[in-house]
Amino acid sequence: MIEIKGMAFGYKRQKLFDGLDLMLEPGNIYGLLGKNGAGKTTLLKLICGLRFPQAGECRVLGYLPQNRPAGLLEDICLISEDLHVPPVTPVFFEQLYAPFYPRFDHGVFAEHLREFELDGSKKLTELSYGQKKKFLLAFGLASRTRLLLLDEPTNGLDIPSKSQFRKALARSTTGEQLVLISTHQVRDMENLIDPIIILDEGKVIFQESLEEASRRLSVTMEREQPTDAGVIYSDKTLGGYVVVRENTAGAESLVDLETLFNTVIANRDKVRTVFDGAAAGKGA
Amino acid sequence: MAPSLNKAFKPRRFAQLLLRDLAGGYRSLLVAMAAVTGTVILVSALTVLGMQLSGRHAGTANFHPNMFTNLLFLGGFIVSSLAFREIRQNGGGVFYLTLPASSLEKYASKLLATSVGYALGSVVFYTAAAAASEGINRLIFGFGNSFFNPFDPNVLEALGYYLVAQSVFLLGSVWWRKTAFLKTWGMLMAVAVGVLMVAGITARIVFHEYFHGCTLNLDDVPGWNELSRQTVLGIGPLVEIGRILKIVFLAGTAPVCWLIGWLRLRDIEV
Repeated sequence: MIEIKGMAFGYKRQKLFDGLDLMLEPGNIYGLLGKNGAGKTTLLKLICGLRFPQAGECRVLGYLPQNRPAGLLEDICLISEDLHVPPVTPVFFEQLYAPFYPRFDHGVFAEHLREFELDGSKKLTELSYGQKKKFLLAFGLASRTRLLLLDEPTNGLDIPSKSQFRKALARSTTGEQLVLISTHQVRDMENLIDPIIILDEGKVIFQESLEEASRRLSVTMEREQPTDAGVIYSDKTLGGYVVVRENTAGAESLVDLETLFNTVIANRDKVRTVFDGAAAGKGA
Repeated sequence: MAPSLNKAFKPRRFAQLLLRDLAGGYRSLLVAMAAVTGTVILVSALTVLGMQLSGRHAGTANFHPNMFTNLLFLGGFIVSSLAFREIRQNGGGVFYLTLPASSLEKYASKLLATSVGYALGSVVFYTAAAAASEGINRLIFGFGNSFFNPFDPNVLEALGYYLVAQSVFLLGSVWWRKTAFLKTWGMLMAVAVGVLMVAGITARIVFHEYFHGCTLNLDDVPGWNELSRQTVLGIGPLVEIGRILKIVFLAGTAPVCWLIGWLRLRDIEV
């Protein structure tokens, strides 16, 4: 569905991607993680044609997104961090914008509005940031586009809304859809995003399912700071150390997203060796 | 319709874009219409009052055509300059550019709304506003200016010129990031000054032997008097050149601006 080959992109003073390769398939809710400035938002913009690759190729649903063809835009919904809503009521917004999306489901939209407790008679510009975000999420989910791109979707949402968002997304997503969520709020996305993509220094340095991560890495809590060579990552926490090693025992270990991210960022080469070794083992 | 054009332009999407633009701007439109109605009524009444005070108990025939032309051009240029401002607003660019419609449909919808749509709307609205103002004048003063005739040849000519000139401001709207109206106006002034400078330098080179200091004495140029006489009579090569330039300007400006504007819209990154 999304096929990026050798893509390069940068801003005037900063090269962001150089030879980026990425393949994403439908039926998944991908989590896009990375440090500040890693290019997560820019990658979302490149995917929906708001930025143009300077070299290489980016294809989405078979289209070149930089041409912004209507046929592609009908199948993409991007909810960015900078929210923009016109001064109309949710009902009027639906009348104005739903016809642009051929598979828009009015029933699902009404359901999400109820679930998010949004007042249908109040103008969108009068809503709080969180309410606007919930409204756009409801619209995005109801649009039934094959590609749903969410940039920091839980920023600005209160605690119940984060839970509602997770439930709504998990319930509404179909096997034909691809959801790509860029986020720093990994705890909000626990049990939702899988596989995980980690961007750093212009490259995808990690793209694996959580199941594979649990199979390849073991996470333990230890009282003393470990010093053995098998440690990939360790971090002091309340009551001891979180320690990540290669999983040689075979039993699956629960890897939380924050630990996984920190491990990959701290020791990408060793993580790569562990996963590449696993892939080679599978091949053999 | 060719298959690619069929994909890039669907009347249903185009109509929905027009509806969206109208719905998004209707409040500003109502405020502008109220302001214009007030202005027309006030200025027309002041004109009639001035005539009454000067002892003339008859209005003018040109008041409304002139007023309409001024409002058509000034208002239209401002509206055209604001057509694509959404793209530059925080989050607005992402919202507008990812709206499922082609760049052709998006540009064409703004073009239709700010050119023919604005012009026709202005004619209908101004006819009503002028009728109201003259009705009030007649009630208060017993006389008034002539009613506005939308089919007056001067009005129709002004509409034609507007359709050409607004294309420059619509291009400015998609081209400039901020203060598109002022920048487009400044650019036109710069182009005018540039053309004048080129013309002056060309004249200086071609007619260098007839210059006395900085002054060109055209009477010394062989054949100038005959050329001048023909021009006054509306014949001769200068009149022909002027006519051709006018046709080129009227027929060429708008399509060139539309094409550049559409290409610019396709290339915008946010």
